[in-house]
Amino acid sequence: MSDKTDEAWVGKKFARKEDHRLTTGRGRFLADLSIPGMLHLTFLRSERAHATIKSIDTSAANALPGVIAIYKGEDIRDKILPMPQPVVQPNLSARFPKHWPLAVGKVKFHGEPVAAIVSRDKYVGADAAEAIVVEYEDLPYVGDPEKALEAGSTKVHDDWDDNLIFEMGFTGGDTSESQATNDAEVDEIMKTADIVIKNRFRVQRCGMTPMETRGVIADWDDADGLVAHITTQRPHIDRLGLSDILDIPAEQVRVISPRDQGGGFGVKAPFYREPILICWIAKELGRPIRWVETRQEHLMAVSQERDQINDLEVAASKDGKLLAIRNRGIADCGDGCEGVYWGFVMPFLGAVELPNGYTWEKGDVKLKVAVTNKSCLSPARAFGEFPTRFAMERSVDMIAKRCNMEPAELRRKNLIPELPYTSVCGEYMDSGDFLKVWDNLMKQADLPSFRRKQEEAHREGRYIGIGFGLGVELSGVSSELMVPMENQPGYGAATIRLDARGKAFVYEGDAPQGQGHETTAAQAVAHAFGIHPNDVVVVTGDTSTTPFGSGTIGARMGSYFVSAAVDASEVLKKKLARFLAHDLELEDATEGDFEFKDGEIIYIKDPKIRQSFRDACNRNIMAPINLPEGESAGLEHTSFFEAAKPMIAFNADVCTVEVNPENGQFNLLSWTTSEDVGQIINPQIVEGQMQGAIVQGISNTIFEEFIYDENGQQLTADFENYKLATAADVPYMRITHAPTPCPHTPLGSRGIGEGRPSDVPGCLTNAVCDALSPFGIEITELPLRPDKIWRLIQDAKSTQAAN
Amino acid sequence: MNTTVKISINGEPYEENIPNRMLLVDFIREVAMLTGTHVGCTYEGVCGACTIQLDGEAMKSCLMLAVQAEGHEITTVEGLAKDGELTPLQKSFNEHHALQCGYCTPGILMNMDEFIKKNPNPTEAEIRHGLVGNLCRCTGYAHIVEAVKDAAEKSA
Repeated sequence: MSDKTDEAWVGKKFARKEDHRLTTGRGRFLADLSIPGMLHLTFLRSERAHATIKSIDTSAANALPGVIAIYKGEDIRDKILPMPQPVVQPNLSARFPKHWPLAVGKVKFHGEPVAAIVSRDKYVGADAAEAIVVEYEDLPYVGDPEKALEAGSTKVHDDWDDNLIFEMGFTGGDTSESQATNDAEVDEIMKTADIVIKNRFRVQRCGMTPMETRGVIADWDDADGLVAHITTQRPHIDRLGLSDILDIPAEQVRVISPRDQGGGFGVKAPFYREPILICWIAKELGRPIRWVETRQEHLMAVSQERDQINDLEVAASKDGKLLAIRNRGIADCGDGCEGVYWGFVMPFLGAVELPNGYTWEKGDVKLKVAVTNKSCLSPARAFGEFPTRFAMERSVDMIAKRCNMEPAELRRKNLIPELPYTSVCGEYMDSGDFLKVWDNLMKQADLPSFRRKQEEAHREGRYIGIGFGLGVELSGVSSELMVPMENQPGYGAATIRLDARGKAFVYEGDAPQGQGHETTAAQAVAHAFGIHPNDVVVVTGDTSTTPFGSGTIGARMGSYFVSAAVDASEVLKKKLARFLAHDLELEDATEGDFEFKDGEIIYIKDPKIRQSFRDACNRNIMAPINLPEGESAGLEHTSFFEAAKPMIAFNADVCTVEVNPENGQFNLLSWTTSEDVGQIINPQIVEGQMQGAIVQGISNTIFEEFIYDENGQQLTADFENYKLATAADVPYMRITHAPTPCPHTPLGSRGIGEGRPSDVPGCLTNAVCDALSPFGIEITELPLRPDKIWRLIQDAKSTQAAN
Repeated sequence: MNTTVKISINGEPYEENIPNRMLLVDFIREVAMLTGTHVGCTYEGVCGACTIQLDGEAMKSCLMLAVQAEGHEITTVEGLAKDGELTPLQKSFNEHHALQCGYCTPGILMNMDEFIKKNPNPTEAEIRHGLVGNLCRCTGYAHIVEAVKDAAEKSA
């Protein structure tokens, strides 16, 4: 379809191009792909949290018809290089535990791969896994991150001298002298401020758990090398990682992330151990191998994040001026065996983002991350900051209470009034108008009217409450942060290729997970060329056709990738303009004298002079004679977009709840947001991101919790025990906008979505505490469950009765 | 042990000799090669991505053995559109942006297709309760609820 249109495509609702195939069963997810001769791989995973492997007897399993091969850690340790490999190792000072894809010597968490079975079908693979006998000798389980850091603790990694994987201070400059001075100044504020509040905040282990689990299809040819289909957010990084660790020349490694992927949210961003092994086996056997992770495996091995303790101390003046923060974070990282993130990069960024959008004058922020006998933390949307922001947003409410101020008023008073701004933890915030976003929220909230209703409700014995929160979100991650944090570039890269029929092909090296890149990028490029989005095809995720990209992470799409695509379009527009000026002998014309509109290129100084976009492309590609001097044929360009400094998006939320004091249950009555996402490209897609992110935040806050028992047995490895929010659990979110275009991107767009759940736990818990304000309850731990709320009410009642 | 089963999927007859332990979802995906029906949980019937219709009734195909479908008519997401014409529900999912990754979508469509036939004028609360057997991780459900409501109105 080639519609002529006079409309601008940026900022317009446009029904997604992805949806036809996905609503008719023609999506092609990893598990839907197959290759002739393909075999299935099944992992046998550890039943123990921490144990020496005494023996593995595979004889009965090997004897089953249909079993092709079985591999154990001992079989591969001399054949596959161990992790870590430099390409997936951050430039932060940390320890990187040595490990192989299968456990060698001992198992370190319940769910660690112990053996891999290659079989003709998955049923036989499951039989074989049951038939393998592993003899374990249990070692003491290390499950408490604080105890793990005590001297004399059992060690998770035998070649380390303790369980500390990462430790960092985020404040006070680069020298130990400046840090000591800073810490002393913060200490002085803590001693002298009108108001000082200290709490221990805990956020449970939970994560994002996409509906599609992970999977790999690996195929090897001795001449062509490896082709690996992987459910991944970063195919180009996987390619380099696989090349290095399997010692396969890079030109022989091609990674394809399927066009359709069933959600990522961070979970598909690491360089995991499973693809390493599967690609190696495909080469070893010379047969295509497919692994489709079961949900049980997924919930045991990945999708676990948060899990931080933050001892946060805040100081303020009695008139509500925020002064200083002091935080001691402790994160439980699990075994730390995971490429790119190693379990500590999330808490690292969480600490960086602790100050949020407030003007804290001083800070002393330190973090320790411990390894334990649990699955390694893997990234989840609101990466690392979900726990720190819970601590921050709760603390701000507690200060307001001590000041006898409305929490909303205290927030406004301390919002960063002008950007750019660098926080006490060094987070650079480039642009935006926080006060505008906040004032828009307050217009929606109508706080005075709510307080009147609340008073009436209290008189009737009903407890309703209102909560606020706000969140600074990274809009893409610049190289300045990405190179140290993940040893990868931050730039967005896009190749645009125009064809002789005037169609645009956009190549993206990142790998969308359902966010609608095919539509959003098509709109941006169609807008640039004055053509229809249906005339633009977006190709993603294949390392053999796309420019290098660090992956679909950190809201890079609307910030970095779209900007690169627009920049590349502008380069090609100039070339088309030069050709047109040459062909029509418009001697005075410059590149800027042409408008691209309605499928035509129009000479602005004399709009009668025009050429169809299609003819212009055709002339360049198919009739490369009589070229302008110094020009060559061809309409293809790759742009690399990099902002000079990190960019952000900003949001604020208000929600209302009603709590039943008889049982602690609560209903979420309303949720309203105010967003600065800059120039919106597709409002419907933006709204979808917000709705989904907030519900994920609510689900994490209320329902989700990975539970390990006293022996390190993970008890929550299915959806009956690990509950996600259903449609009946959540209300409709009202999404409103107060945008300020980003001055550092060509469209003024900001990347959004990744960090969006971050203020949800604070906002929601603030509402519950506000509802229960007659009891003076302050909640500092998640998940926010009725039984806990009920106990707090009972405790408060006893205290009140005693007084 | 194997059994020969006769199952109709989207009007097409299948007569296949299959292992008795084969799940219906695997029969649909791996024997009939209709991969629109998805698997999202460990066959505990919670996620709903494998929802199909058995004789017009929405069912989770991971909770049935293929041999139990002997003699039954199954409809999968591939069977919703007729001659390339999408149903109002399918169109409405596109118009309302009721899907992101689309992994859960086929199951939701199969469930809601039956739901709006039985509840031609549903309230928001009824739709939300009708959806509890389908998990969606991307959308937060809001646009799904809108799409179902709109499709019910257009189908009425």
